[in-house]
Amino acid sequence: MPVNQTPLRTSLPTTHAAASDSSRRQQKKPQNQSNSGVDPRHMAIALHHAHRIQAQKDTESLILDRILDLVAFPHSPTADPSSPSPEDARLFKNALFPFQPTDYDNLIQERNIEGLCGYGLCPREHRREEGGGMFRIRYGAKGSGPGGRGREMNIVPKEKLEMWCSDECAERAMYIRVQLAQEPVWERRGDDTRNKDLVLLEEGREQQGRGMRSGGNTATVGQVAGQLENMHMHGPEARDMAAQMQELSLRSQELALERGDSSTGAFQQGGRVGVQIIENENISHAVAPPQMRPEDIQGGSIEGFFPKPQE
Amino acid sequence: MDEDYSTGSADADREMTRLWRTWRTVFEMLQDRGYEVTEEEVQIPLHEFKSKYSDPLGYPDRNKMKVSARPTEAMQAKYTPLPSKSNPDPQPDCGTVYVEFCPDASGVGTKQVRAFNHFVDENNFHTGVFITQTPISPSAVRLLSGIPGRICEHFQEQDLLVNITRHELVPKHVLLSPEEKAKLLERYRLKESQLPRMQVSDPVARYLGLRRGQVVKIIRKSETAGRYASYRWVI
Repeated sequence: MPVNQTPLRTSLPTTHAAASDSSRRQQKKPQNQSNSGVDPRHMAIALHHAHRIQAQKDTESLILDRILDLVAFPHSPTADPSSPSPEDARLFKNALFPFQPTDYDNLIQERNIEGLCGYGLCPREHRREEGGGMFRIRYGAKGSGPGGRGREMNIVPKEKLEMWCSDECAERAMYIRVQLAQEPVWERRGDDTRNKDLVLLEEGREQQGRGMRSGGNTATVGQVAGQLENMHMHGPEARDMAAQMQELSLRSQELALERGDSSTGAFQQGGRVGVQIIENENISHAVAPPQMRPEDIQGGSIEGFFPKPQE
Repeated sequence: MDEDYSTGSADADREMTRLWRTWRTVFEMLQDRGYEVTEEEVQIPLHEFKSKYSDPLGYPDRNKMKVSARPTEAMQAKYTPLPSKSNPDPQPDCGTVYVEFCPDASGVGTKQVRAFNHFVDENNFHTGVFITQTPISPSAVRLLSGIPGRICEHFQEQDLLVNITRHELVPKHVLLSPEEKAKLLERYRLKESQLPRMQVSDPVARYLGLRRGQVVKIIRKSETAGRYASYRWVI
């Protein structure tokens, strides 16, 4: 166990003595039990928690080390943030694995203190806004305003602008940030893949473009087949074309099934679970109105006590 | 006097005075913690401070402002743990303190803290106090507290402008030595976990440099009893 080699920082003296030196623990264990009567279960629980805390501390120091590494990144001063070298991108993504969004913010802050742009793959300096004032007004592109007229206007805190070298870098950095998992790494499950396959903005755009194109293609196949049927075209070549389109759309459905698209998924037909709807019988009967009983003439009892009739 | 007016602008004067107050609080802090500082050092007048620690323009020169002090006998006694079977001759858990003022006006990050840590480690100081003008970044805080075997603290200059323990509403806090703590627990038949608590991040605890597990005695004025003592376990 690697944790046992580092001394445990714990307030429990017995735990500390037991865990600080594994060889000593081996010798002392039987004696310990007979002397002080330490319940081995309590000991195990204490050790378990101590190890968890130790693992947490180790992770925190790991994150700190990563931040310190990433502050001086990328190493070449001419690296282009829009097309980082594969090596740099890989290192950057790997380093971000244990990060939470707050750690990422710390990294940005740390880079800014060093005078660099907040985006980890950008070697340029962050911009400095001249003049005083806490806020700056940013105008969007022409036609970005309300109703498609005029320009969009944003009031942005100055320090937010000064974090980056350019708006593009800000977008790239935030694109990474939203992919980071909120939970700290020691609470994540082993099969959690959220931080493992981070995507840079450029890669994301590329994938999205590809996806759009392929999605557009399948849509056109289906649409075109439907349109062909609606057009009531006559003649042999039209029928031939319709048959071909039919075939194509079937093929595209198969492909979608292979991809695991949910719209034509295998679960779509049968449903994921068998749902059986059973109506409950209506067991309530018609409610009878209260009837006058002989003992109720005097007004009835109050918890068994019959008040005397008043004269 | 004539020189002062010609060289230093009002701005520089202001900053110098502020820093002088911080400087005095630092010395009072060291004195209250039990380090060896002389009364002259604590009571340094403004003009002397100005002549000593200002640059030619009249602005403070923080690079000159470095202090180190040794613990007194009394402090060493207070920080010596009780002898135990495994450790029959315990050594006091305190040592020379080193105070540094960070000259950077903004953006104190891991770089400066790493340099400070390195200096403390190299010169074998037991405790380091890092004083900055602005807040330091969260990773720098983590880095500062991360040296094994050494204690590094951080203050902002404005936190030390006034000495909070001299305020009339702040009661007197006295650190108990391990023997006194043991006696207290024995007398009241308590475990330490049954005492009222106080955080290490408490302003007075930070001022006194308290550590986890120590017990302080808090002496308040009481209308009915004259003085009233209560105890706090630092967690």
